Amino acid sequence: MGFIRRRIYTYIGILLVVTNLDFFLPRIAPGSAADILVTTALNSSEQRQLLLARFGLNKPLYVQYYLFLKNLFATWPPNFGLSFQYYPRTVTSLIAARLGWSMLLMLSSLFLSVVLAYFMARRSSLRVGKATDTAFMYGSISSQTVPVFWIAMVLLWVFGFDLRWFPTFGTATPNLPFGLAYVGSVIYHAILPVVVMTLSIFGQNYIVLRGSIQEVLQSDYVVAARTRGLRDRILASTYILRNSLLPLVAILSFSMAGLVSRDVLVEAVFGYNGVGDLLVDGVVNHDYPVLEGTFFVLTLIIILGGLIGDLLLVRLDPRIK
Amino acid sequence: MGERGLERTDGNPEVQQPEETLNIFGKIRATLWHNTPSKIGLVTIVAIFAFIFAGRILVPYPPDAITGAPYHPPDLAHPFGTDYLGRDLLSQVVWGAVPTFAVSVASAIISVGIGFPAGLFSGYFTKMEPLLGGTTDIFLAFPILPLIVLMGELFVATNLLLIVILGILLWPPLARAVRAQVQSLKTRPYVEAAKISGVGDMRIVSSIMVPQTMFLAVAYTVINISLSTIIVTAVEFLGVGNPNAISLGSILYWAQDYAFTAGAWWWILAPGVIIALFAVGLGLMGFSLERVLNPRLRSQ
Repeated sequence: MGFIRRRIYTYIGILLVVTNLDFFLPRIAPGSAADILVTTALNSSEQRQLLLARFGLNKPLYVQYYLFLKNLFATWPPNFGLSFQYYPRTVTSLIAARLGWSMLLMLSSLFLSVVLAYFMARRSSLRVGKATDTAFMYGSISSQTVPVFWIAMVLLWVFGFDLRWFPTFGTATPNLPFGLAYVGSVIYHAILPVVVMTLSIFGQNYIVLRGSIQEVLQSDYVVAARTRGLRDRILASTYILRNSLLPLVAILSFSMAGLVSRDVLVEAVFGYNGVGDLLVDGVVNHDYPVLEGTFFVLTLIIILGGLIGDLLLVRLDPRIK
Repeated sequence: MGERGLERTDGNPEVQQPEETLNIFGKIRATLWHNTPSKIGLVTIVAIFAFIFAGRILVPYPPDAITGAPYHPPDLAHPFGTDYLGRDLLSQVVWGAVPTFAVSVASAIISVGIGFPAGLFSGYFTKMEPLLGGTTDIFLAFPILPLIVLMGELFVATNLLLIVILGILLWPPLARAVRAQVQSLKTRPYVEAAKISGVGDMRIVSSIMVPQTMFLAVAYTVINISLSTIIVTAVEFLGVGNPNAISLGSILYWAQDYAFTAGAWWWILAPGVIIALFAVGLGLMGFSLERVLNPRLRSQ
């Protein structure tokens, strides 16, 4: 339990840092929120005072802080305030509508990347071929470091605009009632973004998996079993798989930040209506509440993902106390 | 962002630095040059630098001048084609590469400039392990891109701001590695002998600890340049800061808006290839360095 406890401290630390950044950054930044809100036409200071009061910005700082924390942690769903651009929609409602799409992208890519990495690692480990191994290695390193938004743009061009095999934006055909057609449309729209994300993250998984499979293959137990004549296939599914997955699960907790960043970029390129796209929207519209809320939620996703990964690791690894 | 996850070791210094040779350049040469992935990476980087350098001298057009027809595909006059205004893309790439690289390199240097002394001093003087370890863990899982987006929106997003933020976000891993190394060195007999015979602390740090950990500093500089470049291009692509200033990422920012509907595939391809090659080159070098730093990851 010491391991989990340390991880939880880390996550709480991140949460604290992010919460305080979310509160203080906009308030020390040049220009106040009210200035942004008030258009040049409404020049009267009266309007400004009204707006400040409306958003609670005229209260003393510690009161604002208390209210901020209360809205964040004491209410459910957390209240991030009203969006400037989509006034009077709340930021929370905007995020809630889009969260599912981001999770769809991220979870699908995560899953596919692990599956892909597993099969690649199996191929290059059990049948020792130098060419395959080298090719896979270079492929893994390159795909991780090539900017994901460029991969997205290239694939979008080739498969979306040029060949017209896939749609070029959105999450599903609009105004479709829920049913088989809708599900089909969702999948159809998700294929390209998921492929791009998977391509970008499988490399790291492959490298880790390959290393750990090789380590396991040389462990005494496996060598002994193979000498006894136990067939590789049986071995693979029981011992090798289980043990080689451990480092991968450890890595997954730490790769959440990268996953979220890639998700933001991929959604931006594909116009996919997820939380990442909302973040970019907030940038374009100078919508501070949206930016703060999205920042917080994305951090939450990273923390939750990491925590799940850590719990999984503790469950699977008998060595961790 | 692959390297940062792989970086999580026990911090066991025996694992990290098996040979304690002071031949820094020898080690660097061995890791970066005699190592195939790294050699390819290094050659790629050098080639791109040469390309950019030559380009700045040879390319006739300034990057922001309208010198051709808009949306013109590549030809002899404009080898990379033109953008939506008619500006030459090759010039944009060649000139725009400099701000991007400058920011990556500067932030990497700052991160090492903070992290190296931090690791040295926290390793030698105090026992602040939980503090440094905890900070590193927090930074590892931190959502860097959203933070930069947020800060870029709130404050005037200059390159300086980007450099500072990245420098602050990237120093902990090096500090932790250096700290672990220093703590291991502290227990060596010759260090204890030096202390007993009255050699001052600063002297010990500067003449024993620093040379031994210099390799870590160099390695992490390269790794951090690699990470920075990825983040910087992504941030530029998102339009944070001034998208009108020409940089590698901003070329793609405009391309994303206009190139698709205009059918200007060259706008997406050429600048992207340059960015991709640079990123991959750095990534290959970083990969080889990671292998040396964490021998546990080496395959048999």
